[in-house]
Amino acid sequence: MHTSNSLLRALKAMAIMVIMACMTALPQPVRAQGVNLQQLVRQVEEQYNGDSSHITATMHIVTRQWERSITLEGWSLGRELCLTRILEPAKEKGVSTLKADKQVWNYLPKVDRVIKIPPSMMGAPWMGSHITNEDLVKSSHVDLDYALTLEEETADFWRIACTPKTDAAVVWGRIVYTILKDHTIPRDIAYYDDAMVKVRTIRFEDVQHVGDHVLPLRMIVQPSEMPDEQTILQYRTITFDLPLEESFFSLRTLKGK
Amino acid sequence: MTLIELNNITKRYMSGNQSVTAIAGLDLAVRTGEFVVLAGPSGSGKTSVLNLIGGLDRPSSGTMTVAGCQTDMATDRELADFRLNMVGFIFQSYNLIPVLTAAENAEFVLQLQGIPAPIRHARVTELFAELGMEGLQNRRPGDLSGGQQQRVAIIRAIASEPALVLADEATANLDSKSSTDLLEMMRYLNETKGTTFVFSSHDPLVIEQARRVVTLHDGRMVSDTGSRA
Amino acid sequence: MLLQLAYRNILRNKRRSLLTVSAMVFSSSMLLLALGVSAGKMGDMLASATEQYHGHLVLSRTGYQPQRDMYAHFAPEDGMIRRILEHPGVRGVSPRLRAFGLLSQDTSTIPVEALGIRPEAEATVTTLQQCIVRGAGFDSSGNGCLLGTGMARKLNVAPGDAIAFVTRGADGSIGNDLLTVKGIFETGNTRNDNQLVLTELPWLQQVTALDSQIHELAIAVRAPMQAAGLARQMRDDFGNDYTLQDWSVFLPEIRDAIIISHVSNSIIMAIFYMATALCIFNTFYMSVMERTREFGVLLALGMRPGQLRAMVLCETLLLGGTAVLAGMALGFCMNWYMQDIGVDLSGHVSPISYGGGTILPRVRAVIEPVRQTGAALMLLLVCPVAGFVPANMAARCVPIKALRGE
Ligand SMILES: Nc1ncnc2c1ncn2[C@@H]1O[C@H](COP(=O)(O)OP(=O)(O)OP(=O)(O)O)[C@@H](O)[C@H]1O
Ligand SMILES: [Mg+2]
Repeated sequence: MHTSNSLLRALKAMAIMVIMACMTALPQPVRAQGVNLQQLVRQVEEQYNGDSSHITATMHIVTRQWERSITLEGWSLGRELCLTRILEPAKEKGVSTLKADKQVWNYLPKVDRVIKIPPSMMGAPWMGSHITNEDLVKSSHVDLDYALTLEEETADFWRIACTPKTDAAVVWGRIVYTILKDHTIPRDIAYYDDAMVKVRTIRFEDVQHVGDHVLPLRMIVQPSEMPDEQTILQYRTITFDLPLEESFFSLRTLKGK
Repeated sequence: MTLIELNNITKRYMSGNQSVTAIAGLDLAVRTGEFVVLAGPSGSGKTSVLNLIGGLDRPSSGTMTVAGCQTDMATDRELADFRLNMVGFIFQSYNLIPVLTAAENAEFVLQLQGIPAPIRHARVTELFAELGMEGLQNRRPGDLSGGQQQRVAIIRAIASEPALVLADEATANLDSKSSTDLLEMMRYLNETKGTTFVFSSHDPLVIEQARRVVTLHDGRMVSDTGSRA
Repeated sequence: MLLQLAYRNILRNKRRSLLTVSAMVFSSSMLLLALGVSAGKMGDMLASATEQYHGHLVLSRTGYQPQRDMYAHFAPEDGMIRRILEHPGVRGVSPRLRAFGLLSQDTSTIPVEALGIRPEAEATVTTLQQCIVRGAGFDSSGNGCLLGTGMARKLNVAPGDAIAFVTRGADGSIGNDLLTVKGIFETGNTRNDNQLVLTELPWLQQVTALDSQIHELAIAVRAPMQAAGLARQMRDDFGNDYTLQDWSVFLPEIRDAIIISHVSNSIIMAIFYMATALCIFNTFYMSVMERTREFGVLLALGMRPGQLRAMVLCETLLLGGTAVLAGMALGFCMNWYMQDIGVDLSGHVSPISYGGGTILPRVRAVIEPVRQTGAALMLLLVCPVAGFVPANMAARCVPIKALRGE
């Protein structure tokens, strides 16, 4: 579940990066009404991912033309490395994705080839879903590329708005996180384009205890322009803190097994 | 029968701002078959009178009738037709059309009149023979002597058998031999075909030949020998 | 008689007439050459754009263009292709399926447009298969492909190599399969040479999970410049489910370029006409001025002013007509030469891609009999117009003044 990981990460880990980056780069942490946003997001991320993880998940994709489910498993190490592999359907069994060094490779067992996704295709859907290759890679850098402000705080949640830093090469014009105070878990994230039009929303549901973590096991990606389409990522199993080496996330592993 | 009748004709030209009176109250009548010379010094109005008679110009005042046409009242178009059908012109400087051969020049008026080619050819060939110009039909005017050119001009003037032939100083550019020949030719045509000739000259040789001499001075008639028939 | 006089008058000043005639012969033949070359350039550009890729007409499901929505596919009904082919203006029809995906070899992966075609049918519409510079064409293997030189360079592949193609299937699956490079084409058009890969139709149908479906019928017609009119005629045969578009929809830049070239041709023509008119006017103005005395004689002899005018107009027409005929003969000869042989500039300049077409490095002329003859005959009209003023001057001569030489 590179995917899940990636996605979750992508979605959340940006926050981690933000925190870390801010902590190291900014002279002063951004504070608003006594909340350290970076700290907050980092907390969310750390709660969500251990140092390493293994997941299995089902991705259900609904488009106007077709509807299908993919079962996959994934591994992750830190923020930068993850690997996913499709288990079902049989036709695509073994199709794998490796994210490393901010790049994405796909392995196609049918033709026995590894394909590096070219920069121009980073915006294309990943595995036909409403998640893009870009999401796998770029989102973990939101913290570096965006400035955070606390937009709203209620008894239940914080709402944190991210706006691109002046010279950052970014995909989104604005990202808004809504994080529940209870267990510090995300409720939803809204993405806007340069014209500040909402493009999609990611909702988080099915909050469960997994070991000593509390996390939402369902993630729903909803494109704003197509209300009848969506991608639902449902985590089946999550195991944290496995003994994974960096060398595991290699092209050899991608092709192998 | 009176062919030409001028009544109290005046012609004034504008030269610059000044009005020049070329003809002052001229009365003249010429009958069919006459052979008239207009005599008088240079500037006396001979050319002006011929132009009026020939329908090349209109009088400033007075009335005139030529060959039944009231030329003082006629339109340009009527004058053109009048010139084509009634008058033959012979000019001092021949004025043949340089791009046409002698025969073509001679036939030109007939052609304008729409006479069919065989008739034209026949008539012109006959005239060339009559005037001693055989063999010269196909020459261009530039290849003919002055006398020969003037003969072609005469053939052109008479080929259509007009009621009237006007000749302005027709002999002025010719030597006396050619002048005499030409005059004899005109006399011959006048006598055999009855063509009316009016021509201007200040050459005594020519004047001698005329049956009737009208002398002008400053646009007025100073003498008229009348018909010496 | 007037004609004979006019003819003789023209021959009278042979040098001047010759000068005028040669100027007009030169200008009219140059005009024809300019029009021919311009038509050749436009023809090349249109041919490269339509005959390398689009075809002249494209029939697709309504909604397919311009986004190229992969789901707007159709299975051509029985006899649909045959019916189109039966149309007298149609030269060829090619069924095509289009898929956007990635082509990958070793570490290189590039986004490509795959066009699934039937090789023989496609050959009746586009010339891509004639542009192969390495390798051969499709064979019976079924998974062969043709790609452009630019793409081959980027992927570092040669004929015989196997490359992977990945795309999204119509059922959401990941369509992927290996292709064998059968040939590498070079069209001079950057887009085609860098992004286009031709595969066999059944292969692409299988990879995209679109069995027996196609996206479009590309149609080649006999008169490309009149494609829009033909499309209008044929449109009713297909109903609202389908859209028949002509090349000007896909290649608006080329349509505009052709319009602009027509306008600039008109300007060139106007300049030529103007120059010719001045030339004629000058010649005849002088000639009339010189001949006032003669006109006086003609008037005195009984010629009517109208006849005099007609004579001068005849002269201009005779002179102009001769010149235009000679100019047309010369101009068409030059165009002929340029059509058959042309001037090859490929040693000095490289092809330029513009608006989906390619301006080839050659100067070539195309004979468009009607348009070009029309342009030349227009010159004939210029003659009497330019000669009108001198002719009127002649007609307005007053006999006695003319005789006196004033
Ligand atoms: N078109 C004209 N404009 C102005 N004055 C003119 C014109 N034609 C003739 N005249 C004048 O009219 C007068 C008569 O001229 P006309 O030519 O009739 O004389 P002419 O007897 O023929 O003389 P010549 O023997 O010299 O030929 C002259 O004073 C002349 O200057
Ligand atoms: Mg005089």
